[in-house]
Amino acid sequence: PKLLLSTLLIPSSTHTHATSSSSPHAPPIVIPILDFDLLSVCLMTMEDPDIKKCRLSSVTVDDVIEQVMPYITDPKDRDSASLVCRRWFEIDSETREHVTMALCYTSTPDRLSRRFPNLRSIKLKGKPRAAMFNLIPENWGGFVTPWVNEVASSLPRLKSVHFRRMIVSDLDLDVLAKARLDELEALKLDKCSGFSTDGLFSIVKHCRKMKTLLMEESSFVEKDGNWLHELALHNTSLEVLNFYMTEFAKINAKDLESIARNCRSLVSVKIGDFEMLELVGFFKAATNLEEFCGGSFNEEIGRPEKYMNLTFPPKLCCLGLSYMGPNEMPILFPFAAQIRKLDLIYALLATEDHCTLIQKCPNLEVLETRNVIGDRGLEVLGQCCKKLKRLRIERGEDEQGMEDEEGLVSQRGLVALAQGCQELEYMAVYVSDITNESLESIGTYLKNLCDFRLVLLDQEERITDLPLDNGVRSLLIGCKKLRRFAFYLRQGGLTDVGLSYIGQYSPNVRWMLLGYVGESDEGLMEFSRGCPKLQKLEMRGCCFSERAIAAAVLKIPSLRYLWVQGYRASTTGQDLRLMSRPYWNIELIPARKVPEVNQLGEVREMEHPAHILAYYSLAGERTDCPPTVKVLREA
Amino acid sequence: MSKVTTELDFFGLEKKQTNNAPNKPKFKKLLDRRRSFREIQGAISKMDPEIIKSLLATGANPSETSTRSLSVPSTPKEDHQRILISPVHAPLTRPSTELVSGTVPMTIFYNGTVSVFQVSPNKAEDIMKVAMETSPKKDKSMEKHLSVIPPTTLRTKLFGQNIDGDLPIARRKSLQRFLEKRKERVVSTSPYFPTWA
Repeated sequence: PKLLLSTLLIPSSTHTHATSSSSPHAPPIVIPILDFDLLSVCLMTMEDPDIKKCRLSSVTVDDVIEQVMPYITDPKDRDSASLVCRRWFEIDSETREHVTMALCYTSTPDRLSRRFPNLRSIKLKGKPRAAMFNLIPENWGGFVTPWVNEVASSLPRLKSVHFRRMIVSDLDLDVLAKARLDELEALKLDKCSGFSTDGLFSIVKHCRKMKTLLMEESSFVEKDGNWLHELALHNTSLEVLNFYMTEFAKINAKDLESIARNCRSLVSVKIGDFEMLELVGFFKAATNLEEFCGGSFNEEIGRPEKYMNLTFPPKLCCLGLSYMGPNEMPILFPFAAQIRKLDLIYALLATEDHCTLIQKCPNLEVLETRNVIGDRGLEVLGQCCKKLKRLRIERGEDEQGMEDEEGLVSQRGLVALAQGCQELEYMAVYVSDITNESLESIGTYLKNLCDFRLVLLDQEERITDLPLDNGVRSLLIGCKKLRRFAFYLRQGGLTDVGLSYIGQYSPNVRWMLLGYVGESDEGLMEFSRGCPKLQKLEMRGCCFSERAIAAAVLKIPSLRYLWVQGYRASTTGQDLRLMSRPYWNIELIPARKVPEVNQLGEVREMEHPAHILAYYSLAGERTDCPPTVKVLREA
Repeated sequence: MSKVTTELDFFGLEKKQTNNAPNKPKFKKLLDRRRSFREIQGAISKMDPEIIKSLLATGANPSETSTRSLSVPSTPKEDHQRILISPVHAPLTRPSTELVSGTVPMTIFYNGTVSVFQVSPNKAEDIMKVAMETSPKKDKSMEKHLSVIPPTTLRTKLFGQNIDGDLPIARRKSLQRFLEKRKERVVSTSPYFPTWA
């Protein structure tokens, strides 16, 4: 009898990493019983009919995998499973519930629906990350229209849509609304643009069972507040309402209050600027509220007690109150001990105020603020907030007099933080000074760090300890779980040797942003010999030539996305073709002059150096480019 | 305000003094832009490259301690005497004059002038050490020690081998908007109201 034995190995997924920052609620999903380190499949072909009766089991492998597959949610595991055989591919296709496309131009809508007809949820990203920093032309692309049309025609099970940095029109929203109706549960227009409140109205009118409605940081035309009113009239399922960092001016506090009253499951609300005293009714009604961000404090001389009687819902544990100053801060004290997430990025607190507040929040898990927190604030954080998991320190005002003079972060704060908050998983910080030693201590103490981002500000002429070669090496070696890494320095910040360390010691890193690193093309070449899992690389202000960049791209094995601004262009501009290969799209945004308003209110033409954007795609070259984007066509 | 005595302001102390000058009106402090590291480099890079090239080309005297001083006005922004020392290993076109092996041009920006010296790396280091020592040691709280700009990087900046012009650290849109709005709030409130507590 012939015996066919196939043993298949499927890599295990790491169930321990935190979910993305865009879903603040969802806990990490862990399925401990299914460990796919080794899944063996034995197929026995028997010629002898007698032996047929002794089949090992009447249950086939296919039956098993059909039951098991839905529990496999990690996309990497699904990817592996789909490669086993045709049947497994089919089962994966039929049962895949969610797809994230890191760049919407990597495939086509019909490919998506043909392969995954039963999708429940999609997340598409459009513009490069640099768009969040005003570096990408507004009309660059990322139009949702073809995707919405595909959803309408071919994705009948879709419940959740998340568009990030894309262009959405009212018509798109209308098509989506009418196609999915009450089945649409979640819509996230995340840093999108191109629509108006009419489109929102259409969504709210047709999709009465919305649970999540998000428009954070989107820009749109506000015609009226009817969409919110409509929500207030007919929706009782809302759980998450988010229009943080938007400029709505025509919404009615009464509508917010109605929504709070009608939607008993409302747990998270983030709004734009809105006078806090007008939200008293809303806060009273939102009894199950756990998270609130936005609002606005407007102090009045002669009325120091203006906000003293503000009370908050009993379960509130995540908040960020815009323009909150030290006079208003005490309203948080009664429940500071239960605060888990604090957003102080848009507050008006000095260093001392940070220290005062942080001391009262021993259960803090997430903190976002500006560098006004200072080294002293970080020391307090290290002493008091042992459960801290995520820390983001943004860049405050450069102009003198606008920020606390103490409000700078340096190696002193980093060391205190590393020693004190050893649970940290995510850390992003703008520093004014740095040493190798402080990076070493991060490598020593922060063993759970998955995401580390450091930007060295350019105010201080001299930095205590450059280059950072040894520090970054220690950090990378120590933080074994690192998957995302950003290192933005200045000339002299990292030598070629240091850059080679980054390549050499980043075995698990998937995404990197490198700014002003290295000294020459040699550094980039050495770097490209490492980073085995690097999928997405962003570089800015580097001294590398087109030729070196192209060569490096070809060497990095997992690279599927590249963005560069600031490089040594070749005289012909054709050296980029050295990285031409099948399915690899290469695009350029040539250097432009953009009129911008500077700090003093003057209109100046700012030079924007050229960008390179390159990515793998099954969709062929883009056909919807604006004039500012040039596709490097096949020679 | 230009000082009468010539001081080697290698440590950028004058910036600190400016900040703490008690008689400087507050609004002027507000308007003074903090000179960033990049701006200084930018100032150098904005100098006429032809001037720089000709300076280096004429630095041909093989004597180790030769000096050839050319008064070239640097950017008028510099009110204060500043010295910037950068050993420049310049690969520019130079006339057929041979360099003494082991010496490279060292360019010194001082008091609005540019000087080029042909020195060995050791001599260059000595000169830099001397410059550091003569700089007056102010308060002990200035614990930071000097970090010299490595030559290769300055070279790339000077001779445009890097990107055209400066690439300032970009600001996040959301933060930009917040800072602008905050400024508006400060301006619109009464002048007696503190900007921040």
